[in-house]
Amino acid sequence: MSMECNIPIKGFIETSFIDWKGRLSSVVFTGGCNFRCPFCHNRDLVLNHEKMENIPLDYILLTLRKYKKWIDHVVITGGEPTIHGSLFKLTGTLKMEGFRIKLDTNGSSPATIKGLVNENLIDYIAMDVKGPISHYKRWCGIDVETAKIEESIQFILSGKIDYEFRMTVVPFFHRVEDVYEVAEYVKDAKRFYIQEFRPKNTLNPRFTEIKPFSPQKMEEIRKNVNQILEDRSQKTEGRRNPRSTMHDTR
Amino acid sequence: METTDLNLFVRTSEETLSDWDRTKIVDALVRETLIDRETANEISKEAERLIRTSNIKVVTAPLIREIVNAKLIEKGLEGARRMHTRLGMPIYDVDNLILHPNKENANVPHGPEATNLTLAERIKKEYALLTVFSQDVADAHMNGDIHLHDLGFIDRPYCSGQSVEYIKRFGLDLPHSLSMAKPARQPEVLLAHLIKFAAALQSNFAGAIGWDAVNIFFAPYIQGMSDNEVKQLAQMLIFEFSQQAVARGGQAIFSDINIYWEVPKHFVDTPAIGPGGTPTGKTYGEYEKEAQRFAWKLFEVYKEGDGAGRPFFFPKPIVHITERFFKTPGHMDFLNHISDVAADKGNTYFVFDRGETAKISECCRLSFKLDEHDLRDAQEPWRMRYCALQNVSLNLPRIAYMAKGDDTKLFKTITDRFVLAVKAHKEKRAFLERLLALGENGPLSLLTMTRDGMPYLRFNLASHLIGMVGLNEMVQIHTGEELHKSKKALKFGLKVIAHMNLLAEKMKRQEGLRLLLEQTPAESTSYRFARLDLRYFSPASGRVVKGNIVTGEVYYTNSTHLNVKEFMNPIERVTQEGIFHPLIEAGSISHIWLGEAHPTKEAIADFVIKTFKHTTNDQIAFSPEFTTCNSCHRTGRGLTDTCMYCGSTDVDGITRITGYFTKVSSWNKGKLGELKDRYRNAEFFVDNEIAVNQ
Repeated sequence: MSMECNIPIKGFIETSFIDWKGRLSSVVFTGGCNFRCPFCHNRDLVLNHEKMENIPLDYILLTLRKYKKWIDHVVITGGEPTIHGSLFKLTGTLKMEGFRIKLDTNGSSPATIKGLVNENLIDYIAMDVKGPISHYKRWCGIDVETAKIEESIQFILSGKIDYEFRMTVVPFFHRVEDVYEVAEYVKDAKRFYIQEFRPKNTLNPRFTEIKPFSPQKMEEIRKNVNQILEDRSQKTEGRRNPRSTMHDTR
Repeated sequence: METTDLNLFVRTSEETLSDWDRTKIVDALVRETLIDRETANEISKEAERLIRTSNIKVVTAPLIREIVNAKLIEKGLEGARRMHTRLGMPIYDVDNLILHPNKENANVPHGPEATNLTLAERIKKEYALLTVFSQDVADAHMNGDIHLHDLGFIDRPYCSGQSVEYIKRFGLDLPHSLSMAKPARQPEVLLAHLIKFAAALQSNFAGAIGWDAVNIFFAPYIQGMSDNEVKQLAQMLIFEFSQQAVARGGQAIFSDINIYWEVPKHFVDTPAIGPGGTPTGKTYGEYEKEAQRFAWKLFEVYKEGDGAGRPFFFPKPIVHITERFFKTPGHMDFLNHISDVAADKGNTYFVFDRGETAKISECCRLSFKLDEHDLRDAQEPWRMRYCALQNVSLNLPRIAYMAKGDDTKLFKTITDRFVLAVKAHKEKRAFLERLLALGENGPLSLLTMTRDGMPYLRFNLASHLIGMVGLNEMVQIHTGEELHKSKKALKFGLKVIAHMNLLAEKMKRQEGLRLLLEQTPAESTSYRFARLDLRYFSPASGRVVKGNIVTGEVYYTNSTHLNVKEFMNPIERVTQEGIFHPLIEAGSISHIWLGEAHPTKEAIADFVIKTFKHTTNDQIAFSPEFTTCNSCHRTGRGLTDTCMYCGSTDVDGITRITGYFTKVSSWNKGKLGELKDRYRNAEFFVDNEIAVNQ
């Protein structure tokens, strides 16, 4: 992908109630991803994005302007937006229009993340941590430089802009202990959300047969994760407000 | 021939066996109809001859009556036959009724009490169509040009709005009740009075019983109570209302409670009534904190749901969002709090009172704008009792089939139907006037009591509602496009409603009646109209009705709503539907169906604020879906075939039918068709699930 070419936008939600916690937002989906997480539920965006029609940026801008008095927050998600150099141009354009921007990323390109943050091109970052760093290949389906993942996590944790980490829990694929291991790893984080796995349209079709955890099981996992983060905050910075907990309310 | 010749026993309606007595026929004819004794005598003889030659051994009174009716028809005495008609039901229907649930109103459970209600409703409905309304009105109802709502409750007004102040000031002193209670001194007692009074009112009104500013009026009793005690009180209020399933026909009381975060301007300087019915010496403006505490706790209870985590069906909490709301400290926290309930349980109704209008909401959609006279009442709020006598809906799609694309004919037919609806209102009004005139000894004695010097039901202030069903389909038939398809279609729809609004205004002056447009909830009417039009206006109607014709799950889109199936940005839905709301004075709503999606409370709050600021929408509600398990008594999100906790198949789906939540298993076919169609905004709510631009 060259800098000149426009970023391939493959999906657009005008009004979302959930993609940016705490406010209405619009969502832009970019095509293509460098990961192959078997449980990914945006299969087409990863594998078939080239066959999907591009949505012209002009159309998106016109629509965003139309609803500007309702919505002035935009989420950029994928696929994986950071594989496109033109992400800078997209975020820059949106910034000039006065939107606040959230980036969803897998953290594979710390350089892009740092660049966006340092240039004030994004306001919020949500990074997916797929599982414990030690077995990253298993989680994301490709050989990955785990050093880069760790670099991204450390940079985000430094708190230059507001952020969250999140992890999708897939029964049989993840052990429950894996979740706690990740929680332990990011326990300094302001927010760490546990997301439910949805057995629909998954990248590896066999994953559609996996039954998600029951609501009680999820509640139990969230409680334990919560505990891990709280313990940490009490030991190191007991006076800080209780960090935003794992009560992912959805 | 002599009557004694006939060796017959007659089973009379007095549960006795009488010997045959022909003169009884004559007496009945003379008593009930306008024919002369000689003709009556002749008819009775003919009837007797027929019975004798038929060799029946035991004759029933209904059979004799029908034979006599047949003779009346033979003689061309149609009018007399009408007056001599017997009301009742075939055995087959009664059998079905006793064994199977009623699907016309999902708020009626199945049981002996409910059966009684339905039996009574059937007979009163027939009675209404035969005697209360003129032939043309009754025919228009029967063939589905218009729908007269709640005909089975012909001897009661339609719905009402109440003031807690009435029972605070006068206690519970109802006509013909066994004991009289003085004004309550304790909050729990006030609550008990409130519920009992609501139950008594339910026996005197067909539909919803709404209570205005409940948290404000409870405030003087709440002073000094701990937070836990207030929560307990909130819990009692909601459970008592939602479990009051022992009243009329085993129905829960269809009840609303109106809630304000701020003390509304019209009550700020109103002297507060406290324990014992005496003025506290303060104004309601000074009780803001207590009122807020109660409001907060009520929503805590809604958030928790019932013992199985299900949403409470009643009372429906209606929160008024006003200009003043945004100037009242703590409003953002409260907005997030009630939005949390909206996202999680769906209960919250957000009503928008923009500008200086004060409003109270009653029924599914019905709300009253308070005019100057009402605002004077606000100084003595126990006077603030409102009601609508009846609701009549027009079948808009049918008018379009008949107009065949001709604008003039379309608008003329709307006018004709409207005039007919007004006639129906005048007829019911006259009938109720007769009942009320009987005063304390009449059937509506409760409504005639005069504790504050005027009758409880303020008849001169009563409203008459005219509703509409299927504007979307009307526009579709007439212009070829549904409302959401183009600006032109939307504009045409607006023209239709503006025309109806103008008619209401004109006829109000002409007839001296308070006529108001309302978005009919039309729980069964939209199904009934669609079914009838499939019969009379096929094949055109087959292309227009929504739902599934093969399974019979058909419906017209409610009132002025846009197609529920349509993929649509919720911003566009509340904006476009909101365009109609200022023209529909008695209240409107936009629904946002959530399905299993669970948006964040802050996003809902954000949406609510912007709907208030940027649209003319009157009211919105968010409707999630639930599956509740009858084995493990837990409740999960979304409509599923099995319990998501224990896997049991003994589950019930729960979601909003029109204005209230109920079990899906009790729905009529039309509503089931709509449920399948409802576009659930999944793309807007469900996490990243969409990836494809369509």
